[in-house]
Amino acid sequence: MTQILEVKKLKKYYPIKKIGRRSYVKAVDNISFSVRRGKILGILGESGCGKSTLGRVITRLEMENGGDIFFLGNNISGINYRKIKDFRQKMQVIFQNPYDSFDPRRAIIKSLEIPMKLLNIGQNRRNRIEIIMDAMERAKLTPAYDYLERYPHELSGGQLQRISMLRSMLLKPNFLVADECVSMLDVSVRAEVLNMLLQFRSELETSILFITHDISVAKYMCDRIMVIYAGKVMEIADAKELISNPMHPYTKALISYSPIISPQREKDRFTITGEVVTPIDPPAGCRFASRCPFAKEICYTEDPEMTEISPGHFAACHLID
Amino acid sequence: MSFMRLKNVDISYKLENTSVRAVRSFSCDIERGDIVGIVGESGSGKSTLALGIMRLLPPNASLSAETMLFDGRNILSFNQDELRKIRWKEISVVFQKAMNALSPVHKIFTQMYDVIIAHSPDTSKGKAYKMLTELFSKVNLPSKVLNMYPHELSGGMMQRVMITMSLIHNPKMIIFDEVTTALDVITQGQLLDEINRLVREFGLTAIIITHDIGVVNEVCNKVAVMYAGELLEFGKVKDVIFSPMHPYTKALVKSHPDLRIGNELIKGIPGSLPDLTDPPGGCIFYPRCDVRLDLCKSVKPEVSVLGDRIVKCHRIQR
Repeated sequence: MTQILEVKKLKKYYPIKKIGRRSYVKAVDNISFSVRRGKILGILGESGCGKSTLGRVITRLEMENGGDIFFLGNNISGINYRKIKDFRQKMQVIFQNPYDSFDPRRAIIKSLEIPMKLLNIGQNRRNRIEIIMDAMERAKLTPAYDYLERYPHELSGGQLQRISMLRSMLLKPNFLVADECVSMLDVSVRAEVLNMLLQFRSELETSILFITHDISVAKYMCDRIMVIYAGKVMEIADAKELISNPMHPYTKALISYSPIISPQREKDRFTITGEVVTPIDPPAGCRFASRCPFAKEICYTEDPEMTEISPGHFAACHLID
Repeated sequence: MSFMRLKNVDISYKLENTSVRAVRSFSCDIERGDIVGIVGESGSGKSTLALGIMRLLPPNASLSAETMLFDGRNILSFNQDELRKIRWKEISVVFQKAMNALSPVHKIFTQMYDVIIAHSPDTSKGKAYKMLTELFSKVNLPSKVLNMYPHELSGGMMQRVMITMSLIHNPKMIIFDEVTTALDVITQGQLLDEINRLVREFGLTAIIITHDIGVVNEVCNKVAVMYAGELLEFGKVKDVIFSPMHPYTKALVKSHPDLRIGNELIKGIPGSLPDLTDPPGGCIFYPRCDVRLDLCKSVKPEVSVLGDRIVKCHRIQR
């Protein structure tokens, strides 16, 4: 089976109380996509667009308000992660801040060993430590014994993030959600973490949902990129195609505004005005219409459908024919 | 004469038993109209340097320098009173966390008015309101923001308020300390475009502190690359970023993924920052450098001046 994850019309609404009526923040609104074995799908968007919510719903940390999630062929929508033990092995998450995802009072070795023990990986403690040491050496966290007895606060963010990645990968998951996993790291250590993730992907054929706000990082890491804005998918395409041939005005703006390191500065920016909107009871029509320089009447009244522009390249915009 | 001349600036923080030497013998000249980017990773001392220039360092910090000239005056010898006179009026600073720089319980206008009357006490509220509205239009803020509280504004808007505040007294120089770091790409781009325009329009000299070489490339004409408290390379952006000479600058550029070029492998810099309570005797980058010589371990490299470019590396002198 090549399709590891398939998400269909996923919805996540957060209620907010207002006097007299109930409103909803439509953080994830009718999002559909699939991820194939060993592929990396990038979820690209600005803060508040719902990209982290999407990751949390897929990993069952939050429950959806509608739609289906098929993971390895099984529909896991409506199932709480606590109820499915082997699911936790097959789907792992890495968060932005590694200091928050380790128990500060536990030595690294313990944090690495416990999940293996719970999921019956390795016959005994000695065997598990061997597996850990071996993985650490391969991840160039050497000398391994130097790290194992230490505590999280004794390590740098980059080191700890690589160990957090290792902790997930020791379980040989089929699917990994990496939520802004390098955004708090310095560029010089960021590269090592990213390359380590790519190495794991090719060794274990793990599929990855790579959530990021940085289009350059997305381009470096991902096979496909999905751009979301205010809870809706704007465009999805292969990474190279998306960067070189963006169709949606929002994607064009994102690319145009991201700082580049190249002597040829692009003189004419694709400018848009305004700021990210929060999808609280969003009106009909395209979510991006209020900021789009090309918006027409239809953009404010009708929701644009996802249309295939070229094989594998989809965009939701009324202005594309 | 340079507009700002810094020579051998040293800043250290006293801790219980030790002291951290956060900035060590930093020297550079800034000309009028320059937009200088100070780029470095966390812990490189770039923000400390900015605070040092503004003389806003915390009490446990000590600053010493051979020269600190600003517009022909030695600001090193200024006392608090004299400093107060130039802050906001001649040099102003915009910090990363606009949220923390603004009072949460006062309306924006009240806070801006405070800054106005600090240097021109007889300004009437009506006149101030008019002036601020005009300034706001330059940074694309609606005038209704004046009657709002900080929590009602988004990060980008708050940062624009801070930039407007720094412009009130028509300063000669503005230091932007990581102003776009917490912002989204598009907001960051919009703000950088505005900074670029304002610097020209107001005839400012600016220092932009950032960890992102991309940002430097977007707005700056010169760049200073800092690492662990030392200046390693300084020069025009097009020289330093596109044909770096120092191994650290080279590595830094290589570790940035870029949108415009093909899928080249990015490379990190193995290792981590040296301990600044006891900085190593030789080159500060020695432990992580991939082209190091034996000499680098024990002998500190001299500053080599090549035209308008400064590089601190033994490899250059040979």
